Amino acid sequence: MLLEMKHISKDFSGVQALKDVDLGLEAGEVRGLVGENGAGKSTLIKLLTGVYRLREGTVLWDGRAVSLTSPAESQALGIHAIHQDRTLIPTFDGIENAYLGLDYPTRRGKIDWKAMEVRVRSVAESLGLELDLRKTAAELSPPQRTCLEIVRAQMRECRLLILDEPTAALTDREAERLFSVVRTLKEKGTAILYVTHRLDEIFRLTDRVTVLRNGAVVDTVETGSVDRERLIAMMTDSVPVRAASPRRNFGGVLLAARDVASRDGSVLSGELCVRSGEILGLFGLGGSGRTELLECVYGYRPMSAGTVELSGVTQARPTPASSLQNGMALICEDRRGKALIGNLDVRDNILLTSIDRFAIGGVLHRKAEDAAVRTQIDALQIKLAGMGQRIAELSGGNQQKAVFARAMMTSPKVFLCDEPTQAVDVLTRDEIHRLLRQKADEGCGVVFVSSELSELLEVADTVQVMRRGRTVRRWENENLKAQQVLSCCYET
Amino acid sequence: MRRNKEDLRRTLQSCGTVLALLAIVLAFSAIRPGSFCTLTNFINITRQISLLVVISLGATLVMSVGEFDLSVGEMASLGGVMAAQMAVAGAPLAVCFTLPILASAVVGLVNGWVVARFRALSFITTLGMSTVLSGVVYRLSGGATVFENIPDGFSALGTAKLGRVPLLSVLMAAFVLIFWFVMRHTPAGRKFYAIGGGEEAARIAGIRVKKYKILTFVLCAVMACVTGMLIASRVGSANTTAGDGYFLKSYAAVFIGCTASRRGVPNVLGTLLGAAILGVLANGLTMLQMPSYMQDIMTGAIIVLSVVAQRLGREDGR
Repeated sequence: MLLEMKHISKDFSGVQALKDVDLGLEAGEVRGLVGENGAGKSTLIKLLTGVYRLREGTVLWDGRAVSLTSPAESQALGIHAIHQDRTLIPTFDGIENAYLGLDYPTRRGKIDWKAMEVRVRSVAESLGLELDLRKTAAELSPPQRTCLEIVRAQMRECRLLILDEPTAALTDREAERLFSVVRTLKEKGTAILYVTHRLDEIFRLTDRVTVLRNGAVVDTVETGSVDRERLIAMMTDSVPVRAASPRRNFGGVLLAARDVASRDGSVLSGELCVRSGEILGLFGLGGSGRTELLECVYGYRPMSAGTVELSGVTQARPTPASSLQNGMALICEDRRGKALIGNLDVRDNILLTSIDRFAIGGVLHRKAEDAAVRTQIDALQIKLAGMGQRIAELSGGNQQKAVFARAMMTSPKVFLCDEPTQAVDVLTRDEIHRLLRQKADEGCGVVFVSSELSELLEVADTVQVMRRGRTVRRWENENLKAQQVLSCCYET
Repeated sequence: MRRNKEDLRRTLQSCGTVLALLAIVLAFSAIRPGSFCTLTNFINITRQISLLVVISLGATLVMSVGEFDLSVGEMASLGGVMAAQMAVAGAPLAVCFTLPILASAVVGLVNGWVVARFRALSFITTLGMSTVLSGVVYRLSGGATVFENIPDGFSALGTAKLGRVPLLSVLMAAFVLIFWFVMRHTPAGRKFYAIGGGEEAARIAGIRVKKYKILTFVLCAVMACVTGMLIASRVGSANTTAGDGYFLKSYAAVFIGCTASRRGVPNVLGTLLGAAILGVLANGLTMLQMPSYMQDIMTGAIIVLSVVAQRLGREDGR
């Protein structure tokens, strides 16, 4: 056994990400790793590559106990990972990128470029890769970049290669080329951990597949012995979802977005239709374009096509300012980066969208501001030392409440909530659910995005699925099963 | 307990800058009680720092949105030369003082537009602009100082006094008041800080980041131009390089000012404080007949120290 992980657990300030996980890999094995968003795949990879410190559990490498405390240590053992976010230096050519982190060969004190090129070329050829090594990484196509990363991994001893969603940015033809490289590596005896949402690739490439759910291993099975349906069933929670009491009598359409495409290609054809009183749950796997669709509709991300209608009025070119003006607010997924300004206090953060509203003749009216902020803080029960406290000092849940408080300041009719309950405590989570339902009952429309399917099914009246930048399905949330929704996400 | 300590540290840190100024004043007063510690000298110091304060106010604005304008020095030179040349040519004084302001607004507009529209690095953009401006000044003046036939009225602004107080000091006070009010009590000021704190978050919150960034660049250029004209008015001549020395000193004032704020952000009163520290040092060292290179060494050292202090004071500790 090349790698044996035993009783691996990991938590992040109380939130259990991995629970008593066992994983063993043989040399020359291609292992699939699947699971829903948040099942613990990334955490597992980061533990293996030494990005996270392992505190509970043991790792055996060739039967020897090892501690993986830094990326350098993992790499020295021969564990290499290729991530979704590429780690090449765009302005360096292939040869230099392949040599990143290695000692450059020298001759008489000068860098021996010839020797470098020969070495990199031979590695590329041994993998059957044709790469123009003189091109800079920026000039390469996405699959070529992935190949270059594989070459880089092979420059050192590589005994375990982790591929994390390697085909996310690739076309089918390009993916094909990657698959043949994977097979070559397998023949050479490299173990491969293949992480993907695309189940057809699991069936094409892997020998065995491990299923994670909620941070625990459900099972590891021979790939040949299962089919798609069975695999999806293993991924979904069998726990019955708390029966939602979805509403069925909705008012007029508040927000309608049709054929939305973003300029960067992350959204190809997105639709949104929210009626008064409705909570629309938007689901999709990582990279499906949910966040991007909301950002397009809100006017933050440039659109290349599509129409957005708010309360029946077409928004020619939506901007965040115009969206807010017309009664639509966005609760961002990226709380620290896009929603809050860390060095401002709670008060200023809550007032951020309504700075102009409290100015009388161009002068700020502090008393009115304070009163309005106080009202929201009380209504949402935000716990803080004082309005002047820096927002960064609040807990995650209270920060998120502050984000909602800000949204309430402009009394929007439409709420676009992107992962509003991410990294908040259970209590706040319930409070946010109640708040959104209350708003819907008051006649607002809510778009609710969550990576957690069970949460979505609990909250939403209508469920809509996005897959690879497109809106693909829409259901009334009545007797809807998690498996049905997930199955739709995994369709190809 | 930890909170109290933290509060104490912050209070000390934000008062530290004021204490530093007091210490410097006390030191010079002790060494030269007769000449330094007099009302006349203090009034004198306010006049000496007035120009620096005016130009630094603009820099404070640009820095509050997280950008730099390196072209303030050249803009000041240009403003002075333009105003002086028009005065020599016999244009009415009102025109002499308003046309350069319009020109500077255009320069600021270009700076701001390039930075905001293309997300260009303001550092490089304005460095380029400063070179362009220095070329324009040379084209206008031919490299010579404009000093002949400058009408008396032109010099009035820079030399007049209200009682014992120079008009320049009064102007400075007025500008400080206006800028302080804008930054503290108007929506624009709040938005500047929001943009400086987190541009993306500000944009999502519906703040028109581009517009406000451009606005700061325009105001910064205008303030630089006003400073340049005041310099010309004060000395009764316009030199091609009159504004050069002001660039670094103005940013020094702003940086020192950052240390006086709890959050380490540029602020108007802090900038005034920073300029005062630099001014008192210059005044005192001159009185001690220190050579000017000593002033340079000390000013430079203070800049570096204040930047370090500002980073240390940042509450995220990074």
